[in-house]
Amino acid sequence: MSEYLLETRNLKMHFPIRAGVFKRTVGHVKAVDGVDLQVRRGETLGLVGESGCGKSTLARLILRLLEPTEGEVIFEGENILKYNRRQMMKVRRNMQIIFQDPYASLNPRMTVGNIIAEPLRTHRVTDDVKKRVQELLEMVGLSPEHYNRYPHEFSGGQRQRIGVARAIALRPKLIICDEPVSALDVSIQAQIVNLLEDLQDELGLTYIFIAHDLSVVKHISDRVAVMYLGKIAEIADRNTLYGRPRHPYTNSLLSAIPIPDPKLERERRRIVLEGDVPSPANPPSGCNFHTRCPRAREYCREHVPPLEPQEAKDHRAACFFPVTEGQKVEDRTSEVPYRATTAE
Amino acid sequence: MALLEVRDLKTHFRTPDGIVKAVDGVSFTLEAGETLGIVGESGSGKSVTALSIMRLNPQPPCYYPQGEILFEGRNLLEAGERELRDIRGNDIAMIFQDPMTSLNPVFTVGDQIMEAVRIHQKVSKKEAKDIAIQALRDVGIPNPERRVDEYPHQYSGGMRQRAMIAMALACNPKILIADEPTTALDVTIQAQILELMVELQEKYGTAIIMITHDLGVVAQLADKIMVMYGGRAVETGTTDDVFYDPLMPYTWSLLRSIPRLDKAGEVRLLPIRGQPPSLIFLPPGCNFNPRCPFAKDKCREVDPPLEEKRPGHRAACILSLQEIEESKHRVDEELGVEQ
Repeated sequence: MSEYLLETRNLKMHFPIRAGVFKRTVGHVKAVDGVDLQVRRGETLGLVGESGCGKSTLARLILRLLEPTEGEVIFEGENILKYNRRQMMKVRRNMQIIFQDPYASLNPRMTVGNIIAEPLRTHRVTDDVKKRVQELLEMVGLSPEHYNRYPHEFSGGQRQRIGVARAIALRPKLIICDEPVSALDVSIQAQIVNLLEDLQDELGLTYIFIAHDLSVVKHISDRVAVMYLGKIAEIADRNTLYGRPRHPYTNSLLSAIPIPDPKLERERRRIVLEGDVPSPANPPSGCNFHTRCPRAREYCREHVPPLEPQEAKDHRAACFFPVTEGQKVEDRTSEVPYRATTAE
Repeated sequence: MALLEVRDLKTHFRTPDGIVKAVDGVSFTLEAGETLGIVGESGSGKSVTALSIMRLNPQPPCYYPQGEILFEGRNLLEAGERELRDIRGNDIAMIFQDPMTSLNPVFTVGDQIMEAVRIHQKVSKKEAKDIAIQALRDVGIPNPERRVDEYPHQYSGGMRQRAMIAMALACNPKILIADEPTTALDVTIQAQILELMVELQEKYGTAIIMITHDLGVVAQLADKIMVMYGGRAVETGTTDDVFYDPLMPYTWSLLRSIPRLDKAGEVRLLPIRGQPPSLIFLPPGCNFNPRCPFAKDKCREVDPPLEEKRPGHRAACILSLQEIEESKHRVDEELGVEQ
């Protein structure tokens, strides 16, 4: 059995832009543009990036809720994109998703019991459904008496617990958490984060945790991948990524986040990026970050940086001029583009 | 005299389910050039407080059973509509969370800034346009001469918020109320907008009321802080006091519950149990008592006033300073938290 539970290989999703009377394709939105990602069994992989960087599209491609334009999704050693409906059904038992908005993701006309039982029924687990659902309710910190209630009777945090119960009902191997705490109040977020951590230990789950809040991701993840315009900019274990980021985008992203500590804030030096994220329909040439990058040179405009290994183990960054230890982002040292292979 | 003084403000709403006490006794002062951060969760009354200052809550269902809002000595709660129109946008301006819904899609950005200018100043169209262009240049919009004639949909999210700030500052107000101005924006854009607000404040000496749920944002910007919970101000003080020596158990618990970028992620988060109260059926006694790790029996009976616990540092908690310190240690010991 492979070390990885899930792998994506050169995964691409290009949505066509259609215009005019005949709905001719006039271009493509490159939402996900060649992503190679490995997820190990039992780990939490954090996926961060700004809105429109392709995080959620990537999640939907992995679950095959969207059919990718190109690439492979390998789950437990097999490319699930080749599977037919019946085979897919079996795989789906092992992959679940928790959505951001606990108000929109629960059917208001169904009781909590039915919402959580739905995956069990769909996958023909029929014995003692009620008892199992009640157990699930307890596992997520709700009470079995909530079985016959409706979603509107619950608060946001409780609804998210219902969403979690539904996701673990079939004892999946992989759960994709798509911004599971962003819609919740600050004082409730910690409750849900702790619940997800407990369930991971208890059930041996693997998580892909998508969020734009880098503090939450740092807390929960073992490894973190940073996305920018449909591509992975940098990936490393948590402490390396937050402590010694190489990609200038990761550096500026981390420096942009306000820390709830006034003294630290007064001393901090921010790298404020200029301009906005370019449109994924018309991404810049070469390195897609060069338009906002304080280190960019002529070379970056013409060449696409591969995700190159860095010194630390499992640390990869897609940058020709990575920020080395002790350097500031705007420092320029070498004129020679970084290549891990030639450096060896 | 403070620039703005709010005294025991109550803003209630009549609804079919009962009276919603959205703001129920809030007092604070704001001096010229100062930044006040109002923090709290959704439903804590932050936005309604801001809208009350602007008198923008729809009446009915809203009414003000009590309180005073003194702007340069004038009570805005007693001001007539005409007087309010003179103040809104001119002396006190406001920016909102979602710049797309606060801009009118069928007018150009320039028209909308010019409208605000021409309501308050006797200037020709040409002069108003020059003011609008200058305002857009001030907030860092490239090519303001061309951009002034564009529509909101032609602007990106960050630029729309810049345009909103340009509009708010075009009349050079004394107070800028910013209600979650960066919540809808990405972090790199948020950093740009916050930096811009600080720059403009230094340039024009505007006082800012920054409303947010993000404790990081207030740590970065605010001189002093008011923490709200269940329609009440539960703690006020300088930013350092509130962050380093929180005296209200809610503030203390909240600061401990959030994951922080500067701390390692190995430790478990310490959540606050339960959920925020309904504003129609508030719990007896202190609003926070059902969730409070320090709560004693008397907390269910006595409604705590906001009292000065240390010089310039107020908290709404009936426990004495000593009891608060002891409770902090006790809870830490129970949870096995290292200091």
